[in-house]
Amino acid sequence: MVKTVFMVDDEPSVRYTVKQGLEALDPEFNVVPVESGEKCFEMLESNLVPDIILLDIMMPGMNGWEIQRRLKEKLEWRSIPIVFLTATGDHTSRKIGRMISEDYIEKPFKISELKQRIDKILQT
Amino acid sequence: MKRKFSLSLKLTFIVVTVSAIIILSLTYVNISNQKSFFEKNYSVRAIALAKSFDASIAFHDEFNDTQKLQNYIKNVSVSNPELLQISINVPDEVDVDSLKVYVSSDEDLIGNPSDEYNYESYILTIQTNDDTTYYSITDIEGSHLITVITPVNLSGEIAGTYEMTFSMDKDYKVFDVQMRNLIAISVFSLFILIFSFLFLLRRFVVKPIFVFRNAARLIGEGNLDTEINIASRDELGELAVAFDKMAKDLKKSRAKIERYNKTLERLLDQKDEFIGQLGHDLKNPLTPLVGLLPIIRDQEKDPKIKEHLDIIVHNVEYMRELIFKTLQLARLRSENTKFDFEDLNLKDGVDGVLESQQLYLREHMMKVENKIHKDVIVWADKLRLAELFNNLITNAVKYAPETGGTITINAKKEKNMVTVSIKDTGIGMASEQLEQIFDEFYKADKSTHEMDSSGLGLSICKRIVEKHGGRIWVESPGPGKGSTFYFTLKLVDTK
Repeated sequence: MVKTVFMVDDEPSVRYTVKQGLEALDPEFNVVPVESGEKCFEMLESNLVPDIILLDIMMPGMNGWEIQRRLKEKLEWRSIPIVFLTATGDHTSRKIGRMISEDYIEKPFKISELKQRIDKILQT
Repeated sequence: MKRKFSLSLKLTFIVVTVSAIIILSLTYVNISNQKSFFEKNYSVRAIALAKSFDASIAFHDEFNDTQKLQNYIKNVSVSNPELLQISINVPDEVDVDSLKVYVSSDEDLIGNPSDEYNYESYILTIQTNDDTTYYSITDIEGSHLITVITPVNLSGEIAGTYEMTFSMDKDYKVFDVQMRNLIAISVFSLFILIFSFLFLLRRFVVKPIFVFRNAARLIGEGNLDTEINIASRDELGELAVAFDKMAKDLKKSRAKIERYNKTLERLLDQKDEFIGQLGHDLKNPLTPLVGLLPIIRDQEKDPKIKEHLDIIVHNVEYMRELIFKTLQLARLRSENTKFDFEDLNLKDGVDGVLESQQLYLREHMMKVENKIHKDVIVWADKLRLAELFNNLITNAVKYAPETGGTITINAKKEKNMVTVSIKDTGIGMASEQLEQIFDEFYKADKSTHEMDSSGLGLSICKRIVEKHGGRIWVESPGPGKGSTFYFTLKLVDTK
């Protein structure tokens, strides 16, 4: 079963790492690199709905918080699990992030750990 | 507390004592002078009388003419009312008895000798010098008597003695009044002295001192514009000038310190901001390293390259930890960082931490005992407290022997605080390390743990504990004997 993952991050190296890492660890993963929030919604509108969205917070244009809010606004996107994948590590962000998403992972992270956490979310 | 004595009280006591001593000694000297003046006066009178006797009884025969002598003495007594008694003592060959003559207001006593007096003894004390007189003063039933002994001088020869007793009562009466007046004046002047002294003391010393005291208080409270307006040209005036200068200097240095402080605060803010930004910017480029390197290493078949990759992965991990901890510390230091305090069950909190670390602890063969009583409720930030325990447990594991060890966690209630102890069986430390251990980038064992520890874990612990209003410290009996970390937390009253 193919697990489609949106990796939304403005940083190409992060998009690359997650794609290569996850796909190397588990061939069932299909990581779609997305470079911005705008692009993310474009893809969602074209009926490409992922199993999970990995979301950076600090991005030019639409930031992670905004993307999350807009995702929860629309009924057919509301159930997509979100994992924040961010360099923002302050207490408040972490706390809020954990509350409004499935998980909150701080960069840099181990791919194996990321995979573990995604698997856990997708299982339930 | 010791009793306080005011300055005026002390000075008044000294002034009163000194003036009382001076007045009393002056009075005493005055009395003595007056007395010796009286005595001299009576001696002079006695000598004058003796000379007139000498002249009137110039003839030897007249010694025996009692009637004549008595008449003469009567005349003398009338003109000398203070003369109470006169005895003429002559050597044995003269008929002594017939010569004892008394002068008294009581007529019966005149010419009747009394046996009470031993004239012989007086004769024995007579000296050949003409002017020598002896006197003694006796007080009998409240009246003051002076007895003067003077030689009987007949044709240039000492023939015996006159013994004259005068009453000094009249003089004493005058003298007493004088003394009373003197003492009254003394006491009066003493009071005047004390009151004027107190007035002057208040006006010129105590009041200015109060001014100084109030000014010092104001300055202590930080009001450096305080000025002392004492225009006197004495030492207090000089002190006031010096005091004002001190306040001005203090103001200057405070302004300087405030300037430095502001700069320092700005620099610290900049530093925190810089660290935050740097950390954030470092995290993104580190992501591919942390994410992909372990995968590459695991897939690598060549053992040599695999070994290289091992070292690289290890270093990247270290870098990751360093960035995490540095950022954490910078955030903990920041004023804007808020803690979410709540009532927490300490035992449950520790159990949670131990559960999450189960695997790690088992890997290192560490045994952990949580002896905290289930009733201990603390006022703490849950996540931060977990971080604190995590750091302390990781630390204990890091410095434990390779064969494993035991960590004992306990808590002791004291008033409104609880002291948590985390005891390990690790390498321990020397006394000089106990203080440094909480310093940033300090590592207990530099040689073997260079790449395992950021040296920031305990600094973070210290920050967390301080933000909770507690303190953290460590005790160790010495290297190789284990150590115990202690920290305090606020206790929630569960009554």
